[in-house]
Amino acid sequence: MTVALAVPDVIVARAQAGDEAAFEALYRAFETPVYNLVRRILRRPEDAEDVLQETFLEVVRNIKQYRGEGHLWGWIRRIATTKALMRIRRESVRETESMDEEPGKPGMHVGANLDLERAMERLSETSRAVVWLHDVEGYTHEEIADQMGKSVSFSKSQLARAHARLRRMLDQGAQA
Amino acid sequence: MMHCTMEDLGALQAGEASVWARRHITTCAQCQAELELLYQRVAQLKALPSLRPPRDRWPAVRDSLRAERSRRRRTWGTWTGSLALAATLAAVLLLRPTGQGLHAELSKAKQQSATLEDSLKQYDTNGRVMSGHAAAVVADLEDRISELDGTLAQREQQVQDAELVKLWRERVGLMRELMTARATRARYVGL
Repeated sequence: MTVALAVPDVIVARAQAGDEAAFEALYRAFETPVYNLVRRILRRPEDAEDVLQETFLEVVRNIKQYRGEGHLWGWIRRIATTKALMRIRRESVRETESMDEEPGKPGMHVGANLDLERAMERLSETSRAVVWLHDVEGYTHEEIADQMGKSVSFSKSQLARAHARLRRMLDQGAQA
Repeated sequence: MMHCTMEDLGALQAGEASVWARRHITTCAQCQAELELLYQRVAQLKALPSLRPPRDRWPAVRDSLRAERSRRRRTWGTWTGSLALAATLAAVLLLRPTGQGLHAELSKAKQQSATLEDSLKQYDTNGRVMSGHAAAVVADLEDRISELDGTLAQREQQVQDAELVKLWRERVGLMRELMTARATRARYVGL
């Protein structure tokens, strides 16, 4: 998702000075892109909501450190991504692919309506994160590896594996 | 016949593919179709609708921020309470005959500081919108006073009276500035 948000400098300056109304203005400007980003990564909506809240608390606590170098969205996005990835690490018990995509297996209902969005939901959160950050947000494998604390080859193989799985699921959906 | 793996296709997409993959893709219709599907999937991902939060989380964020600020103020209040006690003790000690001039100055600075502290209590900033400049001035002054209080709490027993007088005068100066900033900032501004 391309975000072209422009927040007036005066809002940032007021937020840096501790003005609560300016904090709210920042929240309103970025709540949807932040939520969309973390929701695309995290499987559970309630986790995404929690990360949205944690992200803005972090933004407000550290807004004085934002020096205006680079787009504000880039700075906020990095905080949101870090929080979402932390959540995945913390709750690694969920870190399994949700369903087997082999046709005929119990629990597998890949119908004609299975679209890309639903196929994405079936990926593990790590795979979702790599796909979304690389293909949509434009992160490089180096940046993803850095944020995940993994290697570049891990990021590349996760992306390839996720695409292979998406490909199969969409193919099966189209044939069903 | 060997075909491109998904990693090969990803590398082709990124312009980082091996010589073999780059050659193969020019002649293999099946791999060309797979690469095209990959491009389409990425385009479809980018075109997915934006998901909006189901509930407004701002009130929760705001309440957490207010609670944090309140905790910080209480911490500041604890520092100033300790300093008031220190001032009382110092006043008792000052009754001793040595260095009467400096002691009197120190006592006076502490008294002025305590008076300003009381006066500031009438200005409650919660829920009021300040101009960016005014908010910055107030925040900066509060930070500086808090920092100075930390120094005073650590050095009250260690430094000479002359140094203490200087620190306390500095505190009085900052408190006066804070008083002025709070008293004159009652101007509401919209965003």
